[in-house]
Amino acid sequence: MIIAVSGKGGTGKTLVSSLLIKSIRGKGRDILAIDADPDSNLPEALGIQVDRTVGDIREELKKDTAQGNLPTDANKWDILDYKIMESIIETPEFDLLVMGRPEGSGCYCAVNNILRKIIETISQNYDYIIIDTEAGLEHLSRRTTQNVDVMLVVTDPSKRGILTAKRIEELSDELDISFKNMYLVLNRVKPQNESVILEKVKEIKLDIAGTIYEDELIENYDMEGEPLINLPEDSQAVESVSQIIEDYLMR
Amino acid sequence: MFEDIPVDVSPMHEGERIRAAKMFVEFAGPKSIGAELIQVEEDVQDGSIEVLGPELTEMTQGENYPFGISVKIQGEKLEKELEGVIERRIHELSNYVKGFMHLNQRDQIWCRVSQEAHEAGFTLSHFGKALSILLKEDFPLIENIAVTIITEESEVKLFLETARSAYDYRDARARELSDEDVDVFYGCTMCQSFAPTHVCVVTPDRTALCGAINWFDCRAAARMDPEGPIFELEKGEVIDSEKGEYSNVNATVSEKSQGTTERVYLHSLFEYPHTSCGCFEAVAFYIPELDGIGLVNRDFRGQTPLGIPFSTMAGQCSGGKQVEGFTGLSIEYMKSPKFLQADGGYQRIIWMPLELKESLREFIPEDLYDKIPTEENAESIKDIRKYLRENEHPIMERLSQTKDSNEETTEITELDAPSDFTEWEDDTTPVAYLPEMSVPGSDGVRIILKNARVYAEKVIIKKERK
Repeated sequence: MIIAVSGKGGTGKTLVSSLLIKSIRGKGRDILAIDADPDSNLPEALGIQVDRTVGDIREELKKDTAQGNLPTDANKWDILDYKIMESIIETPEFDLLVMGRPEGSGCYCAVNNILRKIIETISQNYDYIIIDTEAGLEHLSRRTTQNVDVMLVVTDPSKRGILTAKRIEELSDELDISFKNMYLVLNRVKPQNESVILEKVKEIKLDIAGTIYEDELIENYDMEGEPLINLPEDSQAVESVSQIIEDYLMR
Repeated sequence: MFEDIPVDVSPMHEGERIRAAKMFVEFAGPKSIGAELIQVEEDVQDGSIEVLGPELTEMTQGENYPFGISVKIQGEKLEKELEGVIERRIHELSNYVKGFMHLNQRDQIWCRVSQEAHEAGFTLSHFGKALSILLKEDFPLIENIAVTIITEESEVKLFLETARSAYDYRDARARELSDEDVDVFYGCTMCQSFAPTHVCVVTPDRTALCGAINWFDCRAAARMDPEGPIFELEKGEVIDSEKGEYSNVNATVSEKSQGTTERVYLHSLFEYPHTSCGCFEAVAFYIPELDGIGLVNRDFRGQTPLGIPFSTMAGQCSGGKQVEGFTGLSIEYMKSPKFLQADGGYQRIIWMPLELKESLREFIPEDLYDKIPTEENAESIKDIRKYLRENEHPIMERLSQTKDSNEETTEITELDAPSDFTEWEDDTTPVAYLPEMSVPGSDGVRIILKNARVYAEKVIIKKERK
């Protein structure tokens, strides 16, 4: 099952992604986390240090090609396959692939096309793939999230967050991308404002899968750079995401 | 056939990855050393499977071990030249074995065995056996096959040396591979999303314009992703080997460009040059005043002698258009002996950026190297002419010859610019540069200007009020 987490930057995509991993791990399922947001910090939220991203590999290959460092009859498909595998961070409970920065100047169509195929092949080896998508809508228009089973759209109570969520919903409709299921996740909700927010998000034609309330502990984790995956089991956010999994993401 | 192998062997397991969390041991890869090599030999004991060093049963879970896959084959019709091709199949065939992961090739392999396979009693000699059966099945030319799996570090080190010298030999041969040596080229339509009529033709002598993929890459891609944008292209009948025109290349390009481009010369800038997508590494452009060709690469930020930078030029000849006198190309192609061979190759090159020139030092004929000006020597046509004359570039001889032998007219309606046109050339920058433009004429006459430059004393840009 491929789960994509989208929404405006800063609304809590990474929180939701890391808590999804937290709740699914340890149940004998093979999990691949993909950090597809160049500005995100999913590795930090998972408490992992990353040395090399897919973006770095792309640049290395470009350099090696230009300098003629590659064996003549070697093909880039196999080389990329190896390097992608090498860049995956393997932990006992889940694996992590970081996409890294977008391409520089020059043409990357060919390389990106190969990369997409390789990642598709690798993905088939996992029960759960959780993608922390890049903020905004590019992943939709570029159709990199085409095969997603479930899309969780995260928003906080901010006007812009809600607007982005609405546009994600509209765009996927326009582009005729069929996510089998698409749900809204509300984050950073103050209990006293909940009814107002619920009213506001009605214009986004999506069911609400779960609500995460404003939490001082999460703010502290963010401030101190503590991995969010270490949030205590009884935190409301953790419980809420576990419930989402139970309600919507179980096969 | 595989009955005594305790795990399933089938193509359905291709693409299987063994996660660290599920592996028993790892071979070669980033944390150890290893290689694979196929050698054609005279005397091969068929069916021999040997493990040199510890077997899986003697290994510790979670560890990395050095790894060598040495395959010797014999067959009446087997030639040494086939070693590389057969060796490339090891990757796919190894992955047929459930619980065995194999990545990459040569001395860059990376393998893993799953815990599940280990628990089922799978050993390295089972692996060797599966591999020998699969290879023989795939290549009926193989009459006898012997496989040795090496896990003893000192032995793997020795094996690496043998393997590397074999790779070097093969690389040298592959570098010599040319368009004549193969029957199949490759086509790529990956860029059609933004250049809907562009078809890249990739041959041993001509890498894709983007520089990203060569003939070997295409061969792999067409096999890995048969439904993908890279496809086999039988070259068909040779129409003109000098210009690089092939019957089936024409037919396929015509089909895939929806009839827009009907003929392609792979190695010429004139008449029917290869079309350009948008992402080429460099552009070759005709400089009519000097009857020579300039080169400019994407990274060059300055102005070309045509008075425009790379970006503007790229805009004018991209999008899948066939524009005579312009073609997008890769830097790798400039290293090919067939580089614009129909036009004279480097003999015809009269300008290129310094950085590009330096990167091609080994490939530009030595006697020409200092005769080709860069932005350091000349920026205008006038200065280039001066430089070419002073350095006795062969183009000067060509120029004087063309002047003598009265202009040849290729089309009845085509008029060349007046011969004193070149003298009129000065340092001013054209306000517009058009590789080709039509001017509406009357009485059924169409006036086509090629390589036109528009000079103006004053350019007034006015915003119209609505």
